[in-house]
Amino acid sequence: MSEVLRACAVFFLYAVAAMFAENAVFSRALGVSRLVKLVDDSTVDTLVFGGLMCAVQLISAPLAKVANALIQPFEFRSAVRPLAFILCSAVAFAVVLGLVLLIFKSRAKDIVAVLPMATFNTAVLGMMLLTATQGFSWVQTMGFALGSGVGYTLAVVVVTESQRKLRSRAVPAAFKGLPITLIYISILTLAIYAFTGHRLAI
Amino acid sequence: MNTKKAMYLSENMTRIARRDRVFLNNPVIMQGMGLAPLVVAATTAQNALMLSVAVILLLTPVRVIAALLARTGYYRFRGLVYCLTSATVYIGVYYALQAIFDVEILQLGIYLPLLVVEPLIIKRYERPQKERLVTALKKGLRTTCGYVLVLMLMGCLRELLTTATLFGHAVPRLPADLFPMASLPAGGFLLLGVVCAVWRSAVNRYKKYVNMEAKRGQ
Repeated sequence: MSEVLRACAVFFLYAVAAMFAENAVFSRALGVSRLVKLVDDSTVDTLVFGGLMCAVQLISAPLAKVANALIQPFEFRSAVRPLAFILCSAVAFAVVLGLVLLIFKSRAKDIVAVLPMATFNTAVLGMMLLTATQGFSWVQTMGFALGSGVGYTLAVVVVTESQRKLRSRAVPAAFKGLPITLIYISILTLAIYAFTGHRLAI
Repeated sequence: MNTKKAMYLSENMTRIARRDRVFLNNPVIMQGMGLAPLVVAATTAQNALMLSVAVILLLTPVRVIAALLARTGYYRFRGLVYCLTSATVYIGVYYALQAIFDVEILQLGIYLPLLVVEPLIIKRYERPQKERLVTALKKGLRTTCGYVLVLMLMGCLRELLTTATLFGHAVPRLPADLFPMASLPAGGFLLLGVVCAVWRSAVNRYKKYVNMEAKRGQ
């Protein structure tokens, strides 16, 4: 019983850490290029994108752990690791695609259009690389994968919500759009840095 | 500026801007692509140089090979085609970088393998139209030039502001620790935001100047 509770505590701790202290966007700038596109794109539903990304991360994370263990004995592991992880993402993509087609029959087309963006991006690959290179256990990996996906969605929501304020007339014309969004993200990044108190390993 | 040239530029500004990937339509400044390595890994000129070499070796070959495969294969899964092509080309790029920079590439951490799915490299899959090989080659080379320019600019700027050095060599008469935050991701975002604003206003001024010159000639 205590083992189960301990595993739950570790899962929760790593999920919360990945959401806030090690937020993919605000601590490592993972998926930030996609984020600045999503903020301007009204055709993509942030929550749908986030949900798909969480599903892809949860499926690809254990696959990446297995793939990493398989290539670990070889000298060429660093060179082939991205290829192995992309294949894991591709499997997750296929599983999520199947589930979406099965569950959302009529709405599936709109959701499927977002799926490649939610699968093949730096946030998903970054999460796999981090969990593999930092030697996370199974529970830690799953917690980090879930927290990373939720944290990314939170970051998109926060930056999207800020856009109304960032379009203010008080912002100089040269800074409108991408520059002020980057400066806003920098302030949030600084807040996270103040919270953690140290630079994260890359 | 020559009036004839100004009139030509003014009439064709939209077309020229669309083709130009270095100044008028830089992939980083105008489209916000390739931000992750720029903000976190490009903290010194040496890191920026290593990332630049990786991008030079990766971007154009991936774009050309993926365009070729997408023309012959099942186009619906072009996202996967672009990513797998990128990850396969990366194997060669990794060994090339190791031969050039040795263990120094470890300083880039996860940001070197992350280039494989960087929108700058694979974003073309989002467009449903198939790309011609010559177009892929030309656009790949232009995008590489634009990205490398910003990468080196940011790397040098951040090293100068943090340690008053350039490629590890001290720059005379420049105070050290001018802006230590520049080495952090927060400083990277802030500096890039300012560079974007300055660059964009320079582009706007250039366009305004061309239009004024063209009007004067009419």
